[in-house]
Amino acid sequence: MRSFLGCFRLKKAVHKPGSGDHAILASETTFTVNEVEALHDLYNQLSSSIIDDGLIHKEEFQLALFDNGSKQSLLADRLFDLFDLKQNGVIEFGEFVRSLSIFHPNAPEAEKVAFVFRLYDLRCTGYIERDELKELVLALLNELDLTLSNDAVEAIVDKTIMEADLKGDGRIDPEEWKELVARHPSILKNMTVPYLTEITLAFPSFVLNTGVQESEL
Amino acid sequence: MSTKKEAQSLLLGRYEVGKLLGHGTFAKVYHARNIQTGESVAIKVIDKEKILKGGLIAHIKREISILRRVRHPNIVQLFEVMATKSKIYFVMEYVRGGELFNKVAKGRLKEDLAKKYFQQLISAVSFCHTRGVYHRDLKPENLLLDENGDLKVSDFGLSAVSDQIRQDGLFHTFCGTPAYVAPEVLGRRGYDAAKVDIWSCGVILFVLMAGYLPFHDQNIMAMYKKIYKGDFRCPRWFSPELVRLLTRLFDTNPNTRITIPEIMKNRWFKKGFKDIKFYIEDDKLCSVGDGDEEDVGSESDKSLSESDSELEYRRRPTCLPRPASLNAFDLISFSAGFDLSEIAKVVSFTVRKKDCRVRLEGSREGVKGPLTIAAEIFELTPTLRVVEVKKKGGDREEYEEFCSKELKPMLHSLAMEESIPTSQSLPDFSHLLLDNSQSRAGSSNSLLDTSLSLPGSELPSDTE
Repeated sequence: MRSFLGCFRLKKAVHKPGSGDHAILASETTFTVNEVEALHDLYNQLSSSIIDDGLIHKEEFQLALFDNGSKQSLLADRLFDLFDLKQNGVIEFGEFVRSLSIFHPNAPEAEKVAFVFRLYDLRCTGYIERDELKELVLALLNELDLTLSNDAVEAIVDKTIMEADLKGDGRIDPEEWKELVARHPSILKNMTVPYLTEITLAFPSFVLNTGVQESEL
Repeated sequence: MSTKKEAQSLLLGRYEVGKLLGHGTFAKVYHARNIQTGESVAIKVIDKEKILKGGLIAHIKREISILRRVRHPNIVQLFEVMATKSKIYFVMEYVRGGELFNKVAKGRLKEDLAKKYFQQLISAVSFCHTRGVYHRDLKPENLLLDENGDLKVSDFGLSAVSDQIRQDGLFHTFCGTPAYVAPEVLGRRGYDAAKVDIWSCGVILFVLMAGYLPFHDQNIMAMYKKIYKGDFRCPRWFSPELVRLLTRLFDTNPNTRITIPEIMKNRWFKKGFKDIKFYIEDDKLCSVGDGDEEDVGSESDKSLSESDSELEYRRRPTCLPRPASLNAFDLISFSAGFDLSEIAKVVSFTVRKKDCRVRLEGSREGVKGPLTIAAEIFELTPTLRVVEVKKKGGDREEYEEFCSKELKPMLHSLAMEESIPTSQSLPDFSHLLLDNSQSRAGSSNSLLDTSLSLPGSELPSDTE
C-alpha cells in the first residue's frame, strides 16, 4: 500500500504544491505556512540547479552542500537517503520540508537524536556497530584528505565504543545512544541550523504571493 | 469592540498583539509579545494594497534583504517576516526607550551625551555603509533609545542598496525629510547616498547639541536656500572643535565633505569614543568585554615557532584549561557532507580567547563584514589534538586566501622548525592539515572546516 502511494505521489510531484499542501506541511512540522512558502523558493533553486524538473536529485543535493555535484561524502549520501523518505531516488518538496524541520532550533530534541542514530546506522540494523563507526571515521578522514595510522583510528573508535556501549555487546543501541548524546550534546551540533528561523528573511518573495488568508494567521 | 478584538488576537499563534505604537502612510506599528518566550517585539503591519498602488513591492523585498544584512548593536533587528493575502508583517526588535526626538524636544543635551549618541550613530552608519547599505532618511524620529540609553537606528524604509546605484554611482530618487536633507538632494541631481547620510548625521548632531535645527525657516523655500548655501550659525556654547567638525559635515560640496573614516579620526569625535566591538555567535549578538580580547598587530605577531614564545608557553602550562574531549562522533560531524547550514546560504586580526577557543577577526571591513575565523582545540585521544578552524563571518574567497596563503605556509614552517630538536625537548610532532575548502556556489556564504591536528602538542596560538 505504501509503495503504491509512493508511485502515485511520484507522478504528482512535478505539480507545484498549492497553499493547501503548504498548510498541511506546516501543521505537521516546526514551520509556519509562510516559512514553508519561503522554503519552497529555496527548494525551487536547489531542484533546478542541474535538472529543472522540480525534484532534488542526489547531484543537486551534493551541489548544494559542496558546490560540487560529484564530490563524494558518505554522510552526504546518508543524509540524502534519509531525506528521501519514499526511497525513490529524489527528494520531493514534502520530504524536504519534513526533514529540514528536524533541523529547526525548535524541533524536539528526541527527533534530532533519533535522526542522527539512523544516519550513523549505515546498514539499518537498529544498532550502530563498531565497524560502521570505523567506516564513518575513515570516510571523514578521507573526505578531509587526512591520513591517520590504523592504530590511531582504532584507538579513537575503541575509546568511543567503550564509552557508549554500556551493555558491553560491542555495539550501540538506541538507548545507549540517548545516554551518550545526553553526556555529549555536541554530537547533535549539526542537527540544529539556526538559519532556518530566518528563512522568511532569506527568501522574502512569498510576501507577494502568499496563499495565507487573513483569518488563518 | 473591534479594537479590543484586534488587541487580543494572536498572530501565528505566537505573538500577542498589543497597543499601537505608531503609524505612517503604509504601515502601523504594534507592540507584541512572543507568548513562547515572553519577549517583547514590535510588529510593523503593512497594507499590501497600498504598497501595490505605490509601486513599492520591489522596495519591500529589498527592505527585508537589507535588514537581514545589517546586524549591529545600534541597529533595530528584524526577526522574521509574515504575510497574508492582504498584509505584510515585520517582526522587529522592540526598543523600549522611545524616540531620541522626545528627549531633544525637552531641550538640548549635554555635550557628553550628545557625543555618545553621535558616536553610536556614526558606528551604525559606518557599519551599513561598508555593507553597501545607506539609510537616506536619518533624523531623530528614526533614532530610538533602548533601556540602557543606547541608540538604535530604525526605519530603513527609504534606504536602498548599492546595487540600485546607477552607472554614474549616484542615486536619483528624491527622498528624505527636508530639514535633514543634503543640498545635492535638493538640487535633484544624482547624489552619493553615503555623503547624504553624513550630512544628515551632521544635522542630528547639531540638533542634539543646540536643541533646534541648523537650517530652519518658516518658509520652506527659504529653508532650502539655507541648506543649499550651507548657511548655519552655531550657538555660543558650541566648542571650537565642535564647530570645526560641523563645518566639515555641512560642506555643501559632497566631494569634499568629511568622510566616515575622517569623522572617526576627528578630535572632538574621538574623545571618549569606544568603538563598539561585537560578534555574532550562535545567532546571538555578543558584545566584547574588555579583558576578553587581545589585539595582535603585525609587530606583535611573533613567529609562532620562536623559542621565546615557546618558553613563555612552557612556563605557564597550568593556567591553560583542558581542551574539551572529542569522540568519534564529534569527529564525524566535521564532515561537510553533514553540514546543512550550507544548504541555503547564498586581514590584521583581533583575537578573542575563551577556554580552548580562539577567534580572529579581521580589521578590514569588507562588503560582507570583517573576516572572522574561529579555532577550537579538542582532545581526541590523550596524544592527539584536533584544531577546528572555520570561517564565522566575512567573505569566502578571503577566507580561502587566508587558508592557502597564511595558515598552511605557517603550519609548514612550524613543522619544519619542530623537527629540529629544541631545548624544550618537545615531542617530535608531524602535523596534518585537514582542509576541505572546496569551492562553493557563487553567492553562498560558506562556512568551511579546515581542521588540523597536531599530535602530542597543543596549537601555539593558544599560547598568545
